Amino acid sequence: MSVEPGFEIPSWEMPSVSRERMRTMAAILRDPNPVHWDHELCNSLPLGIGKRTINQGPLGLSYMINMLHAWAGPESVRRVFMTFPKIVLSEDAVTAKGVVTAVLDNHVVECDIWLERAGERLLEGKATVQLDN
Amino acid sequence: MNLPDESAIKNIIGHEFPGGDYAIAHWENFLLTECTGAEALPDGLAHPVSLFHVPILGAGTSIGEMFELGQATSEFSIGIESYDWQIYQSLREELNYQISGSVVSAERREHEDGRIFDRIAFQFDLAHQGQAVARTTIVWHYNRGVR
Repeated sequence: MSVEPGFEIPSWEMPSVSRERMRTMAAILRDPNPVHWDHELCNSLPLGIGKRTINQGPLGLSYMINMLHAWAGPESVRRVFMTFPKIVLSEDAVTAKGVVTAVLDNHVVECDIWLERAGERLLEGKATVQLDN
Repeated sequence: MNLPDESAIKNIIGHEFPGGDYAIAHWENFLLTECTGAEALPDGLAHPVSLFHVPILGAGTSIGEMFELGQATSEFSIGIESYDWQIYQSLREELNYQISGSVVSAERREHEDGRIFDRIAFQFDLAHQGQAVARTTIVWHYNRGVR
């Protein structure tokens, strides 16, 4: 695979963020934070999100890893650095996107990656990806 | 505002978790991967999303204990600044990983609007048979409210 800076990575879509998956995730992670599984509590918090639950940060990050895997293979991701400026909610339709910013030696590329909802960036970060793996 | 003593926050720098071993079970990887919306990866590969909970649990701690260590006032008071996952070898199911972890920084900060938070960074290292597999860094904000 040959790419240049500015190459747009094929996007990856999560049509509807599932609250059931958040519950499974919370159980496996031993995550005690009820914002991921208690919709009544979410409704009581001053967040203005109603009864929608808040997706775990690693799950939002995983959508971008899925995008990178679909593009470059399941062993391609060498590093991911992610920030979380906004929250992802249950029932959100989100899209993972990315663009190559630099081509390094040995078929390694640096990328900007982000997760967006209706054009608004919710999560954003960087990835290092090994191509031709 | 529930504001822990700043020196108590700084004192957790260098705190080391007990450390230990962790193997990602097939069922665990299957369910986690399904949660991400992806198909199972081939050849026993574990989805990198495991790099959140495996280091934490394998190091002998828990999300709850990490909240307590920074004197979180509630689960809702925690905000994520960043996750940094460096992957030196692909993760695989059923391999026994040796995991260590510690608090690498802890400092009090203030937003422009006056909200106080403690910024705490945790770092974990995974190895298999003496070879480095991954390093993860979690940076959380322990929000304290307005001074």
